[in-house]
Amino acid sequence: MKQVATHFFSVRKTALVVILTGLSAVSFAQGGIPIEKNFPEIKSGDWTGPRLADGQPDVQGHWSNTIANHNNFTDPQGGIPNDPNPRPADQGPREGRAPSRVSDPADGQVPLQPWALEKVKEFQVGFHNPVKPEYIEPLARCAPGGVPKSLYWHGYEISQYPGYVLFQFNSGTRIIHLDNKAPLPDNIKLWNGDSRGHWEGNTLVVSVRNHNGKALFGRSGEFISENGTIEERYIFNSERTRYNYVATITDPTVYTRPFTVTIPAKRYTEKDTPNGWHFEVEPATHAGSELILEHYERICAENNGAFGITAK
Amino acid sequence: MSRPLQLTIQWKWYLLTSSLFLVSIFGLQACNKQTAAEANAQTPQASTPANDIPRLANGKPDFSGIWQSTSGADYDLEPHNHREDAPPGAGVVEGKYLPYLPDALEQKKKNFAERKKLDPALKGYTLGVPRGIYYPAPFQVFQREKDLFIVHQFGHSVRTIFTNNTDHPKDPYDWWLGDSRGKWEGDTLVVDARHFNDKTWFDSAGNYHSDVLQVVERWTFLDRNTIEYQATVTDEKVFSRPWSLSVILHRHREKDFQLIEDYHFTLEYDEFYPPKPPVSN
Repeated sequence: MKQVATHFFSVRKTALVVILTGLSAVSFAQGGIPIEKNFPEIKSGDWTGPRLADGQPDVQGHWSNTIANHNNFTDPQGGIPNDPNPRPADQGPREGRAPSRVSDPADGQVPLQPWALEKVKEFQVGFHNPVKPEYIEPLARCAPGGVPKSLYWHGYEISQYPGYVLFQFNSGTRIIHLDNKAPLPDNIKLWNGDSRGHWEGNTLVVSVRNHNGKALFGRSGEFISENGTIEERYIFNSERTRYNYVATITDPTVYTRPFTVTIPAKRYTEKDTPNGWHFEVEPATHAGSELILEHYERICAENNGAFGITAK
Repeated sequence: MSRPLQLTIQWKWYLLTSSLFLVSIFGLQACNKQTAAEANAQTPQASTPANDIPRLANGKPDFSGIWQSTSGADYDLEPHNHREDAPPGAGVVEGKYLPYLPDALEQKKKNFAERKKLDPALKGYTLGVPRGIYYPAPFQVFQREKDLFIVHQFGHSVRTIFTNNTDHPKDPYDWWLGDSRGKWEGDTLVVDARHFNDKTWFDSAGNYHSDVLQVVERWTFLDRNTIEYQATVTDEKVFSRPWSLSVILHRHREKDFQLIEDYHFTLEYDEFYPPKPPVSN
């Protein structure tokens, strides 16, 4: 009986992933993904919070973005472009929703070259009728979320070690090297790129190279090529309650100019109620009375990888 | 002649234990006398390299680093002749052969016959336990006092071993990498892993398990760059009794060596992304 029950649970969890991936309305209604429309600026400066033994600002814990999921990169709370069944909450005047993740240029749009804009528009139509495999958002096939999309796809965990910052996402893992290793050779291309970082006060500065360009920025289809680079600044407040991700994305193959992406994030602790999107933790079994929360395995079921919303 | 030598060893040992004790007092708040005493009890011979292993601030062995087995165990856990897809090997199983139940042995033979089609690793699936440990690809251990994360290069899948005195969940799922709870026996990390799914194999020769698999691992430093890894496997649906394997793990010390993510399962659709610029561009 036990085995039947756990199998069923496992299957049900997979089904939930399908729902979350395919039907944003469901996750919006149940999970409450957007929790704010505006967010405070955090200035780069000194770190006055606690430090780890190796001197790094201690920012370990569970984090998640506060704005929206990956439905729409530039109108984060505006729903999937061309959605045939748009949610009323996603409609209305643009000013009623959170700003674009593109904070520069001022129009909030990715400065795409004409050929790339054409591809994005094509994807935004094809997404709803994926007659070609490239119209399937790769995250729906269990591919890694990539940079920066992983930062607005479910909550994630940051842990730190001498020489490393580790990001564990639901789809994919990023190892940020603080150890001054030589960069990887240029011809090695990776879903999450290769990350080299260092701390400047309250800011984790990371240079991302070696992109394979395959992870789209969301269901709105914006993308980077394997020639792109991303310079990231994770600016933490010393209270360790929030950070803002401010990244400059450069790619002469796809864009007309570098642009800046800003993504706000909030930390979750034992004081917060676990939920199915931002803070997917469970109480640990132990003899004591204190609440210990832990996160179960983050492995997208590879053999379900081809579900791809509506297409094989 | 022998007496001064004896004294010398004892003197060195005294210095070593004293320094351990001093380290435990100064600067390392989590460390305590009990830990130093445990360390002493586990290392009665002053000359063993085990005294020179990396340790966390709480005195426990620190397995942080990038590791890989050269055992060839992934070809076949059992003794085997060379064949098209494997070099010969004497196997890594205590007692040489796996104690399959009769029906399970038939299944294993089918798996072997169709291994080029059925091996989960060839599909890029998460390797499972213990296969991920001796699969011929590196993994990196990120260790804190309360947990170890094992990041496998293959699939970049992450296994957590909790070392915070917590127990298995009361209402578990079936997981690819199971649920791992570790405790320390002296300088050996003993891990109880259970609640697995039945989708992984033990090797590329079709040796397999069911979803009642339980694995007890023992991780012990032989020296600071070498780990002895033992796993005892229990699976009453497949085997007539528990059995054990043992491999050695070596630390990667090559200059600038690092994990390189290997999301093997994306290969089948890699070609579709990203959009390509027009050829004339």
